[in-house]
Amino acid sequence: MRSRAKFSAQTLLVLAALCEEPSHWRHGYALAMRTGLKSGTLYPILIRLAERGLVEACWQQEPSPGRPRRHLYRLTAVGLASAMEALASAPGPAARPSAPAPRAARAGRPAVDPVTG
Amino acid sequence: MRLLPAERRDWVRAVWAESYEVPSGHRRLAWLAGGLAVIAMGALTAGRIGRWLLFAVAAAFTAWATWPGSPDRFATVIARVDLITVVVLLAGLPWLVRRFLGSASDSRLARFLRVGGYGAILAYTVAKARLVPAGPDPTGPALQFAWFAEILLLVVVAGYVAAVLAVTARRSWVAPATLAIGTGAGVALGVVMYAVAPLGLSKNATDPWLPGSAIDPVVALAWILLLGGPIAAAVLAGRRYRGPVDPHEIDKARVWQCGVAGILATGVGALIVAVLGTGTVALMPRAAWLRHWLYPGQHLLAAAVHSRELAASNSGGAYGLILIAFPVIGLLLGIFSSAAAIDSSAPPPGGGGPDGPEPVPDPPGSGRLADAGAAR
Repeated sequence: MRSRAKFSAQTLLVLAALCEEPSHWRHGYALAMRTGLKSGTLYPILIRLAERGLVEACWQQEPSPGRPRRHLYRLTAVGLASAMEALASAPGPAARPSAPAPRAARAGRPAVDPVTG
Repeated sequence: MRLLPAERRDWVRAVWAESYEVPSGHRRLAWLAGGLAVIAMGALTAGRIGRWLLFAVAAAFTAWATWPGSPDRFATVIARVDLITVVVLLAGLPWLVRRFLGSASDSRLARFLRVGGYGAILAYTVAKARLVPAGPDPTGPALQFAWFAEILLLVVVAGYVAAVLAVTARRSWVAPATLAIGTGAGVALGVVMYAVAPLGLSKNATDPWLPGSAIDPVVALAWILLLGGPIAAAVLAGRRYRGPVDPHEIDKARVWQCGVAGILATGVGALIVAVLGTGTVALMPRAAWLRHWLYPGQHLLAAAVHSRELAASNSGGAYGLILIAFPVIGLLLGIFSSAAAIDSSAPPPGGGGPDGPEPVPDPPGSGRLADAGAAR
């Protein structure tokens, strides 16, 4: 029997935001706006999720002029499965995601392109 | 940023890059403060801030114990030069060693050796500064000799710090087994040597455990450990070493391992006996319990204590000689012993070569079932 990962309420908020359109790459600031979390809370969560292989990260390849490259995030396949499982059993409706895009959608162009951001 | 582990630096850069999207003013400051929290968390995870704080506290204590005294006295000047040099060495050499050999290894022994080595060198600095000056301040040629001896000692201390950092670094050539064997032999040598001569090598010292015998079993054990310890450690480390497959390369690597095991067996011992011995001499006039332990059954007058303290302080320089001579003895004996290690690990006639992998045992029950389980 597979053990189910336990996530905090804040982590569930991040997972829910990433689940909305799982094929999309998200910026940290967009996630902060969506979840209402401060950077000091959001980034440790992203670090933990990335270390557990639930979130993948990459650098924007073509940054805007005069701006540094931005870091982008999205759920891995394992992360999506874990997130859906955790959100389905979450008590509050706040963290419940809308239905994710089908996995096949990942083959398409993401809404935030890591090249251009 | 440098306090942060490499894998966390990207995250700090990410916070920084996103701050350009945050409206300027207090909201951007708050966002960046969150980034600093990430830094602090990552650094604490790696334990670096904790280690630097520990070092800062230890260095501050050393300064508090070492600095006082009249600047007109030669002993005070020497103590302050020692303090500044040692703290600079301990703080600066890790940066240099990290460039070539990487940061500290994750093994417990390596970390124990680093912490122990740093503690020992700081303790030696304090103990040396607290020794009672043996006479008036030197002048003329005696002053020049005193400075020469002081600089030589500081060079030796720098060598010890560099050696401790090098053998415990992540990309060190020293095998974990070599480190363990050499350190173990060194601890045994240091403890036994201190038991033989807790007040240095002076004949005036009364040994509590060796009344009137020059051929006491403990003295014999000390000699055996000094001369036999590096040999045994080197042979053992050489035999256990499994390195490059090329026989020529592995022979050369074994010689290195043997030499390092020999140096560790004597260097660790020298450091232990120097710290404990110098500390005992420095504490003797101040601690009654120590005098009772050193001179059991004797009730010493203050004048006698002072006289013995002076005699012991005069022999304090012997610890400096031990710090220099022991590692040289260990290196020579270790390299000399490498022949035995190489001969004994030569491949058997008719081939041999490196050890292959262990045969894989048959799975219990049916192999097909095990494979099917793995596939699931």
